[in-house]
Amino acid sequence: MDNYHRQQRVNTFLVPLLAVISGLVVAAVLIIFTDNSPFAAFEELFKAGFGCSSLNRCAFFTTLERATPLMLTGLSAVVAFRSGMFSIGQEGQFALGALTAAWLGFALDLPPVVHAIVIMLAAMVIGGIYGWIPGVLKVKLNINEVITTIVMNEIAVLVLVYMVNFPLRADRGTTAYSPVIDETAKLMIFMPGSKWGMGFVIAIAAVLAVYFYLWRSAPGYEQRMAGQSSLFALFGGIRNDRAAIRGMFISGALAGLAGAIEVIGVHYRINQDFAPGLGFTGLSVAILGQVHPFGVFLVAILFAGVGLGAQLGLQINLGIPRELGGTVIALMILFVAAEKFYTDGISGLRERWAHFRGQKTAVELAMEERE
Amino acid sequence: MEGDLFTVALLSSGLRLATPIILAALGGAFCARAGVLNLALEGKMLLGAFVAIVATFYLGNTFAGIFVAMLLGGLLGYLFAFFYLRYQVNLIILALAINLLIGELTVYVMRVLFGNVGSWSDPSIQRLPDFEIPLLSSIPILGDILSGYNFIVYFSWVACIVGYIVLFHSKFGRHIRAVGENKQAAETLGINVRRVQVSAMVIAGMLCALGGAFLSVGHLSLFTRNMSNGLGWVAVTANIFGFQHPLGVLLTGYFFGLAEAFAVRIQNVTDLPPNLIQLLPQFATLAALILVALREKANLALIRRRFRRQLARGEMQSAAGD
Amino acid sequence: MRRDIVKAVLRRTPCGNLMANAVELRNITKYFPSSNVLANNDVTLSITEGEVHALVGENGAGKTTLMNIFYGLHRPDSGEILVNGQPVEIHHPDDAIKLGIGMVHQHFKLVPSFTIAENIMLGIEPNQYGMLKKKDEAEMVRQLANDFGLPVDPYARIRDLPVGMQQRVEILKALQREAKILILDEPTAVLTPQEVKELLAVVRNLAQRGRTIIFITHKLVEVKDVADRLSVMRDGKMIGTRTVAETSIPDMARMMVGRSVLLELDKKPATPGEVVFAADNITVTDASGLPAVRHISFSVREGEILGIAGVSGNGQTELVEAISGMRPVEGGTILFQGKDITRRTVGERRKQGMAHIPEDRIKIGLNLETNLDENLVVNRYKLPEFNRLGFMILSAMKRFAAFAVKQFSIAAAQPGEMIATLSGGNMQKVVLARELSGEPKFVIANQPTRGLDVGSIEFVHRSLVDVRDRQAAVLLISVELDEILSLSDRVLVMYRGTVAGEVDPTTVTKEEIGLLMGGSSLPGTATSAGSVQAVPKPQKEVVA
Repeated sequence: MDNYHRQQRVNTFLVPLLAVISGLVVAAVLIIFTDNSPFAAFEELFKAGFGCSSLNRCAFFTTLERATPLMLTGLSAVVAFRSGMFSIGQEGQFALGALTAAWLGFALDLPPVVHAIVIMLAAMVIGGIYGWIPGVLKVKLNINEVITTIVMNEIAVLVLVYMVNFPLRADRGTTAYSPVIDETAKLMIFMPGSKWGMGFVIAIAAVLAVYFYLWRSAPGYEQRMAGQSSLFALFGGIRNDRAAIRGMFISGALAGLAGAIEVIGVHYRINQDFAPGLGFTGLSVAILGQVHPFGVFLVAILFAGVGLGAQLGLQINLGIPRELGGTVIALMILFVAAEKFYTDGISGLRERWAHFRGQKTAVELAMEERE
Repeated sequence: MEGDLFTVALLSSGLRLATPIILAALGGAFCARAGVLNLALEGKMLLGAFVAIVATFYLGNTFAGIFVAMLLGGLLGYLFAFFYLRYQVNLIILALAINLLIGELTVYVMRVLFGNVGSWSDPSIQRLPDFEIPLLSSIPILGDILSGYNFIVYFSWVACIVGYIVLFHSKFGRHIRAVGENKQAAETLGINVRRVQVSAMVIAGMLCALGGAFLSVGHLSLFTRNMSNGLGWVAVTANIFGFQHPLGVLLTGYFFGLAEAFAVRIQNVTDLPPNLIQLLPQFATLAALILVALREKANLALIRRRFRRQLARGEMQSAAGD
Repeated sequence: MRRDIVKAVLRRTPCGNLMANAVELRNITKYFPSSNVLANNDVTLSITEGEVHALVGENGAGKTTLMNIFYGLHRPDSGEILVNGQPVEIHHPDDAIKLGIGMVHQHFKLVPSFTIAENIMLGIEPNQYGMLKKKDEAEMVRQLANDFGLPVDPYARIRDLPVGMQQRVEILKALQREAKILILDEPTAVLTPQEVKELLAVVRNLAQRGRTIIFITHKLVEVKDVADRLSVMRDGKMIGTRTVAETSIPDMARMMVGRSVLLELDKKPATPGEVVFAADNITVTDASGLPAVRHISFSVREGEILGIAGVSGNGQTELVEAISGMRPVEGGTILFQGKDITRRTVGERRKQGMAHIPEDRIKIGLNLETNLDENLVVNRYKLPEFNRLGFMILSAMKRFAAFAVKQFSIAAAQPGEMIATLSGGNMQKVVLARELSGEPKFVIANQPTRGLDVGSIEFVHRSLVDVRDRQAAVLLISVELDEILSLSDRVLVMYRGTVAGEVDPTTVTKEEIGLLMGGSSLPGTATSAGSVQAVPKPQKEVVA
């Protein structure tokens, strides 16, 4: 391996690490403004987000519960990105999936397990179609998928608000709620005290399924090749357009599933502010997770734990507002995206070190390699 | 009177609700014209709303508060530009991170400063005063529609017109459009592309912040968590629908504002669902996108057909030449 | 040598006191770390005031990078620049413009929705308090255009103009900024023959008015027509500078393509059989919709190598893309094993036995973001041996990778290795392994040895001859004359998107083929080589 490629490899590991550290440093500064010790705060946050004092009062289970929708929307983004589509439509697909579940949860009359399965499948189809549309618009008419998914997010959220306020409204209270779903539609819960249950198992299954789809199946292979180098895919005989549309459908289906599980596994009904921003958070999970299912798995738990730790540990125990959690997460995304800041710094240091040691620079090495 | 759906009050409340949308969309238009996709309108608006009310509280003057908000909005725009131009951060990720960051950070700071509250206000904060425009207000009906707002509302109209003149009739505006349409063309002629793009993003940051300030000290006099509540995204859509044109944005912004006002109105006087009205401009945007794309496609097909015809004719000519 | 140059200059400028070097580029080196390309390797170039200096070389030789450095669009890693004998620092095009340097880029830098006047005056708009004075600027443009005898309509929009007119706008842009040194980067690449004629007249006219012109091209006839001296670049290095009057076109071609010594290839005589592949009268357009391939017909038989020679940029890329299915054809038909495949997809063509070694292994031929195994199966992942019920059989892919590494001696590679870590020669072996294993019926090899070391070149040549001997039909497209002549059983020469002539590789001289490549006709065969229609006709009989 030559000099150039060795550098590239080192950066893959170094950059996310440095980004996370930078995020924590800024967080520490913000904590100091509240007259708390950053180290005590981080310890408190960790205990409250990832700790487990007893089986019945285990914060970590709640973290896993909260990680479930993040994992699924993160996977949704992974599948879209891996087919070369920059879809930011998870928000809308999530909303429509949730809406489908809330409606079918009381409208259908089915035996226990079947009911839940039918709901999830329906939500996946609805979400999938909602992802398929921008895919088709991109491939057939070359309309930027970022733009269409933004507009379609707005539409989906408005449709959800309308449905909750009118056709699905359960009572005449101040806030509109849909009816509580039937017992038959609810997903099993493992531990009382949190909603950690079957939904998480489905999310794990989805992580594995996406991994196997993308890295073991022929359609997944086509999708990755099209996403990584569309010219290579075209040259090799892969239909880029089909791969993109398929990727968008699967992506939508996963986001729709996330919405359904959030309804039938956690809240059992929806109101008009149902989980705003979850779609965008999922997108961030995918990016910090290096657009890989296993990365998504870890980052989703990290995000959920930081959020919960900030809420329970910082806000309740130390009086530090829980928004610190979200702030840290946003900073980490920002710093990972600013990858070039670190790679420039690293290669600058390396050049200086080489110069100091009397070694050759990258240009000199490149000239030598071509002799 | 209560039963009337279309009233002067409706039109003027549409103009009021359209103000933040128009301002942010105008900012988005400047960025788009400079070749930068700005999806951080939401975050910049929220920052403006928060800073305006906090600065008003500490400085005791609403105008000073708005000024500080615009300053910080411009600074955020500069940061956005800095990350994008210096470190080549993906614009979409950057925008989403900034939206998330501002959404959380505003509440964090609010709670650090004013205790654990979900929304905050102080009796000392003066809402921006409304005023009548002399002459104009004396015209019947039209005067009621176009007069009697605070200065941000008037400013949003003026800003669009000035924005149009700047973009299409000034040197600076021409440079913005050149950079947006062909960055290399501008660069090779010695235009400082960075400076042009930074300016566009600073302008957008200031306009968004002003739009946000309208929410917290112009329309109401309080700040709540996530106060912009998706208006920044509505502005993104209004900008697309307005074809990144300052005057187009003025119209589509008003269209979206009117839909909001109509939704509120319909809720008050009838049992009809208000959100269906809000869907209308969104669908119109989607339809506009598709129509434009279809037209492009038809044009391409036309060029292709013309070339094939020429080809057929060319063959005949060379055959005759032999 | 030095005296020759002086003489050449003196011929043009009788006053004789203009011998100063307008431009000196000394030891310029430029490395692009993100793509790991050394574009300029210690390049030195001197340009005399008032001359037309041709800068010649293949695509990717580093000409454009050198000029971009001179124009302030790139910063060199080392080296210095002198203008009129003074060392200068050029950080930005603005600095270049102030030094009187103007550049007309190969891909025009125009704003399509702006008018001609708006484009020419961009950055130097006449204005009052920042507001534009549109009438004044149109008048200024009209004046300038008349001064130089290059009339334009100041109010016409760029997007409505033909390419030749757009180029005129680019030249006027530089003249409006009072450019004394004008760089023209591949100015004729996009022009029709008539437009080329007009452009060359303009260039000579500007030189007579005292402008120094740097003319980047790879079309040697134009060098002969317009330039006083030429400098040749290859693989990022400066090969040398000559006086045009004393250098023949074949000499220039040799300097450009280099590698005059090539290992002798020992191959059996061809045993051509049935026609496997036939292109009948096909026309293809390039990305901007301009015709790149015009009415070409040819056929390839099993067991033979048909070589297509020609200087790059004469339609070879588009021809190959059309045959392989990556680009639609605008007219004509393509037959493969007797079946019409004109409208078939790449996948369908490959399934029927078409293989393709592309000219750019990094961007097209390989996916650098993934590993060896996945790169090797892109044309066969649907076959039952690699695919069970839609799932990829990783063990089979791994076995195939191990086989390929061994069979094609891909050094230092193992299954699962990331492609990006391989050297250029080994990357090309990966492409060969993928395309040549599994008995293809028809192999397209486009510049198969570009940028390779001697050992790898020999390996590629051996592999192509082997696959021919296994009775595959091979279409070899190359700008390397020696490669074409030593490998091919028949040779066509492409010029400006047409077949300029067919030659027999065993009897043709380099001079003859060089003339065809440069767009001149062979002595004695002027009519057949000069006409577009003459050559394909006998080919059609082969097809039928």
